[in-house]
Amino acid sequence: MSHATRLKAPMGLLIDRTKPVSFKFDGKSYQGFQGDSIASALAGCGRWLLSRSFKYHRPRGPLTMAGQDANTLIQLNKEPNVLADRELVANGLDVQGQNYNGSLDGDRDAILGHFSRFMPVGFYYRSFFKPLGAWDKWEGFIRKKAGLGVLDLDFQPEYYDKAYLFHDVVVVGSGPAGLSAALKAANAGASVLLVEEQPILGGSLTYNRFDVEGEQADQLREDLLASVEQHANIEVLTSAACNGWFADNYLPVIQGKRMYKVRAKECIVASGSFEQHVVFRNNDLPGIMMSSAATRLMKHYAVKPGNRAVVLTGNDDGYLTALELLDQGIEVAAVVDMRNAAESDAIASAVKARGVEVLTGHTVYEAIPTRGNKHVRAVDVRRITAKGEVASQSQRFDCDLLCMSAGYMPVYQLLCQAGGQLKYDDTAAEFSLSKLPKNLRIAGSVNGVHGLSEVLHDGERAAIEALHTLGLANGEVAVEVNCKRRVNFDWPIFSHPKGKDFVDYDEDLQAKDIVNATRLGYRDVQLVKRFSTVGMGPSQGRHSALPTARLVADATDRTVTETGVTTARPPFSPEKLAHVAGRIFDPYRRTAMHHRHKELGAKMMPAGNWQRPAFYGKPEERDACMHAEAEHVRNKVGVIDVSTLGGIELRGPDAAEFMNRIYTFAFLKQPVGKTRYAVLTNEHGVVIDDGVSCRLADEHFYVTATTSGVERVYREMMKWNAQWRLDVDITNVTSAFAAVNLAGPDSRKVLEKLATDIDLSPEGFPYLAYREGHVAGIPARLLRVGFVGELGYEIHVPSRFGEALWDVLQEAGKEFDIRPFGVETQRLLRLEKGHIIVSQDTDGMSHPGELSLEWAISRKKPFFVGRRSVDIVMAQPQTRKLVGFTLPKGTKKPEEGHLVLSSSDSSADITGNVTSCEYSPSVGSIIGLAYVGIKQIEVGSQFPIRVDGGDVVQATVVDLPFFDPDNARQAL
Amino acid sequence: MSAITPESFSKRSFVYRQLSDAEFSEVAGAAQAADMKNGHSQALKAGILDLSVLPRTGFRGLNAASHLQAADLPVPAKPNQASVTDNGELVLRLSQKEFWVLGAVADLGAGVDAVNQRGLPEKDCYALYNQDSHAWLTLTGAHLPAIMAKVCGVDLRAEAFPVGSIAQTPAARINVVVVHHQINEIPCFSMLCDSAAAEYLWVSLLDAMAEFGGEVIGSNALS
Repeated sequence: MSHATRLKAPMGLLIDRTKPVSFKFDGKSYQGFQGDSIASALAGCGRWLLSRSFKYHRPRGPLTMAGQDANTLIQLNKEPNVLADRELVANGLDVQGQNYNGSLDGDRDAILGHFSRFMPVGFYYRSFFKPLGAWDKWEGFIRKKAGLGVLDLDFQPEYYDKAYLFHDVVVVGSGPAGLSAALKAANAGASVLLVEEQPILGGSLTYNRFDVEGEQADQLREDLLASVEQHANIEVLTSAACNGWFADNYLPVIQGKRMYKVRAKECIVASGSFEQHVVFRNNDLPGIMMSSAATRLMKHYAVKPGNRAVVLTGNDDGYLTALELLDQGIEVAAVVDMRNAAESDAIASAVKARGVEVLTGHTVYEAIPTRGNKHVRAVDVRRITAKGEVASQSQRFDCDLLCMSAGYMPVYQLLCQAGGQLKYDDTAAEFSLSKLPKNLRIAGSVNGVHGLSEVLHDGERAAIEALHTLGLANGEVAVEVNCKRRVNFDWPIFSHPKGKDFVDYDEDLQAKDIVNATRLGYRDVQLVKRFSTVGMGPSQGRHSALPTARLVADATDRTVTETGVTTARPPFSPEKLAHVAGRIFDPYRRTAMHHRHKELGAKMMPAGNWQRPAFYGKPEERDACMHAEAEHVRNKVGVIDVSTLGGIELRGPDAAEFMNRIYTFAFLKQPVGKTRYAVLTNEHGVVIDDGVSCRLADEHFYVTATTSGVERVYREMMKWNAQWRLDVDITNVTSAFAAVNLAGPDSRKVLEKLATDIDLSPEGFPYLAYREGHVAGIPARLLRVGFVGELGYEIHVPSRFGEALWDVLQEAGKEFDIRPFGVETQRLLRLEKGHIIVSQDTDGMSHPGELSLEWAISRKKPFFVGRRSVDIVMAQPQTRKLVGFTLPKGTKKPEEGHLVLSSSDSSADITGNVTSCEYSPSVGSIIGLAYVGIKQIEVGSQFPIRVDGGDVVQATVVDLPFFDPDNARQAL
Repeated sequence: MSAITPESFSKRSFVYRQLSDAEFSEVAGAAQAADMKNGHSQALKAGILDLSVLPRTGFRGLNAASHLQAADLPVPAKPNQASVTDNGELVLRLSQKEFWVLGAVADLGAGVDAVNQRGLPEKDCYALYNQDSHAWLTLTGAHLPAIMAKVCGVDLRAEAFPVGSIAQTPAARINVVVVHHQINEIPCFSMLCDSAAAEYLWVSLLDAMAEFGGEVIGSNALS
C-alpha cells in the first residue's frame, strides 16, 4: 500500500520524503519514508490495527506513538515484542503481528472477549490451584496461550558494549525544561550531558501546540536548538533511554547497542509527563489515541490520524489539539470537555470560531466500533452528572478518530528509584514529587509546571541550583517557579455496566477488575498489582498507575496519597540482557611460552586465569599422551613450563626473620645458595600454600608459591607485616619471571650445553641447591628441586627471555630426544613421588599432621603463623590422615572426590575421600592419595572406595613414595 | 617483510605476535615495531603502540626518591604524578616510596640504562622488576578519554586527568597504571599492565579503539 495521504511540510519532522522505504507487514507490502517508525508508516498507509491485546485478543492500534504502551508490539524476524512506534522502517523489513490465532485481522481467539465475565480478576490464581493436579493439566494450554511473540533460537550473538561518560551535569529529557536547564548550566561553564529518548531534541516542542496560532513551539525549539547543538559544553545523546537512577547519580543510559554508565555530579530530570487516557467503554479501539499521539503522527510523520475527529479532554490542551487537527484538514466533530468550562476563554473561543461544537461537562461514555472492533466509528457522549456518573441521554458523533487527554502523570520512575515520594494534590488532581536526594533535581512538567514560559524558567531554576553545588552559580539566585495551570481532570473514569472500560491496556484490566481486587481484600496497591497484574505489563503502569490509585483510594475510603502507586524499579524501559552484559571482559594470562605450546599441539587447560598445557596431543588420547610423556621424563629428558608458579621476593635486614615467622620451617639459618621447602599455615593451623624458598643473599629470599595461591600468600604477607613492621620489602614477581622445569636423567646433559658459567656437577650443584648464572646467555636463577622425582632443574629467567629459553632448550635437547610435558603429566609424576598439591590434596581442614608434614615444622622456633592452632589440633586425637594407596591394574579407577567408606556394607560411614588418582606406568598399578579414617592408615591394610556406579573397590594402603623410595634419582 | 624479527633476539615483547605487519627496529637488544605503514596522522588520530622492550626501571623504599634525585631525575611531589625529563624519560611516583622510570623513545631508553648503572643506596632502596613484570602499551591521539571510557571507570578527561597524572585502576578488569603524557605534542596514555595479560589488554584496547579508527602504530609515527 502507498503513502499518498501524507500531510504537507512542515509536518513530518522525522521523515525524509525523498527516500521511500518498502517493507512487509503480515505478508502485505507497504511503503513509508526513511525516518518513519513501523507504526507511522502503516498509519500513513491507512493500516491502524497493529496488534492484539494480551488477554481478550482485542484489536489494538497506536495509543501514544511514543513507545510508551504495549499496543504496538510486533514481531520482527529475529526479535519479538518490538515497539512499532519506536522501531524504524527499513527496506525489506519483514514485520509480523503477534499473539493471534489465525490472522491478525481475523484472530479466532478474539472470541475470548465474549467470555470475559467468566475470567474475572485473579482468575488464574483462583481457578487452577485445586483440585490437586489441576494446574498440571492446564499449565500447557495456558502457557501456549500466554506469552507474546516467538524467540529465534538460532539467533547469533551480536556486539553490544558499555562505556562510561563523565559530566558535571546530566539532564534527562530535552523538552523545553531540559533544553533551558542544559543551556543555563553549560553557559556557566559546566560540562553537560543531555539525554533524549526520542530521535530529535525538543520533547513536547516537537509535537505539542502551545498557542492558538501554533507558532510558539516551532520558533522556540529552533532558537533553543541553535544554542544547544553548537554549544561546546553540551554533549547530546538522542534515541537514548536513561533506564535507572543509582546512588550518587550513577545512570545507565542505553543508546543503540551500547549502555553508557553515566557519572554526573548533578542530575536534572526533566522527563516530562505521560498523557493519561479516559476510562470508558471501548476506550481501546484503534482510532482512539492520546491527543499527543495524534499530534505526533501529524508533526513527526505527516500522517493524518483520521478524517473526522472528536476530542475528549480534561484540560485546555484538547482545544489546542482540535486547532491542530483543523489546520491539517481534519474535520473536528466536537470537543468534549469533562470540565464545566475551559481555563482559557481565548483558546475555547478560537475553537468555537472554527465552527466546532464544544460540549462542557460532558464525556464520552462509550465508543462504538466497526465490525469486529477494528476501529472506532462513533462515540456516545453524555453529560456528567456526578463523579464517574453520566446522564441517560446521549448524543452520538460519528468519527474515525478520538483524541483523549484526561491530564498528565509525571514521569516519576527515575525519581522514585532515587527515593523520591509521590504526593497527590486533591485540588490539582495531580501527583507531585518530594524528598529527592541531594544533587538530583527536577524541572518542567515532571515538577508540576505546565505553562511554557514557566517551564523554561523552571529549567533554569534547576540549573542554577545545580550550579551552586558545582561552585559555578556566580552569585545567581534560584527563584521558585509557580504555575497555576490545572491540567488534570479529577475523575476521568466512567465505568460501564458492560465493561471493556480499560484501566490497563497491557493486561486488559477493566475498572471493575481493580475495584473487585480491593473487595477481595487486596487493599494495598502493591497487593492489587500482584493480584490483578495491573502495571505489570510492558508499559509498567505509565497509564494505569494514576487511575488505579484513584480507584483503589475510592474503593478503600482513603486518599490517593495514602494509596500511592506501586514501586518503580529499573529498568525504566525494556532493555536486553545483552545491554546488561555488554562486551564481556574475561581476562586471561599467558606465559611467555604460550604460543610455543600451541604450536606443539598442547591441549590447554585453565589454571586460575592462566592457560597451561595439560599434555601435548589429542584430547581423546589423554592417557596415552600422559603416560608417554611421563615415561620420557623417567627415562630421558622432558621440559615443562612452570612460569605460572607464584614468585615473591623478600629483601631487607628482616627478610629472614619474616620468612621464619610466616612459614612453618626454620629459615633464619637457611644457607645462601640453598633451597628449602616452605609450608604456609593460616591462623587456624590449616595448610594453605607451599613452595620453595631460595636464599639468594643474607637479606634476600626468593620464594615460590602455588599458581592459584600466590595472590593470597602475597596478601597474607602484606597483612602480617603491617602488624609486625619488620624492615623487609615484599614484591610479587610472579609475572616478572618465566620458568621451566628441565627434568629427567639427561637433563644435566642438556643444561651443560647451555650453562657454561655454572658448575653443574653433582658436587658443584647438588640436590636442593640454588645457583645463578646464564643459560645460553640469558640471566637465570636455577633451583635443583625434585617435584617429579628426577634429576631436574627449575630455570627461572626474566619473562622477556621466556620464549627464547624454551627455544634454546628445545634445540639443545634435540640430541637427547627432549620432549615437553604438561601439567597432567606432572601431576602423575609427583603423585608417583607422593608429593601433595595444596588445594588438590588438601581442604579447608587439612593440618600438617594429616598430611605427614611434621618434618616441615620447626619446633625450635617460638612462632610461626598458625603455630598455636597446629599445636592444639595435632595434640588432639586424630580422625583422618592422607595416605597413599594402590589398586591392581584393570580395577575400576577411583576419581578425585570419590568416597572412602568405613566398611563395604551399604550402611557404612564415610571416613574420607580420594584426592588424587591415576594409573602409573612406572609402578604398574593404579596409585592415589586419599583421606582415610584414622583406623584405616595401617600400611598393608585395605579400605573401600565407592566409585562410579556405586561399585566398591578395595584399595591397599602403601608407604610413600610409590616410585623410587630411596629418592636416589632426584639426587643424581 | 621486516629484516629484523622479534625472534632473532632473546628478549621479546609480550605482544610481538600481534605485530605481524610491522617493520621492526632494534631497541635495547630486542625488536620494537617502528613502522606500521600508517604514520604520524594515525598517531594523532588514534594509535596503539607497543613499547614493552623500551628500557624502564623502578625503585622502592625510603631512599628511593633521593636515589632518583641523585641521578638528576625530576621527582614528582606527590603519588600518582609523573614528571618528564628534558630527554623524555618519564618518572612516575606510584606511592610515597615507589618510583618507576620509563625510557625515552628518542634515545631508545639509554637514559634508563644510565640510571640502572648507578649503585643503589646501601639500604632502603630496592630495585623493581617492572621491565619484566609489566608490559608497556601506549595509546595515542585525540580520543584517549573516550577510548578508555569503554574499558575503565575512572574519569580520564583532560580536566580531571591532566598531563602528568597517573591513575592506578582496573581497565578491562585487570590492574593497570595509566600515565597521561605527550610525545612530540601527541597526546598519550601509557599503560603498564601485567606482562602475562598484555595480549589480553592489547586485544581489548584495539577493540575499544575500533570505532575511533584506531590502528596499531610504530614508534616512527611519534616523530
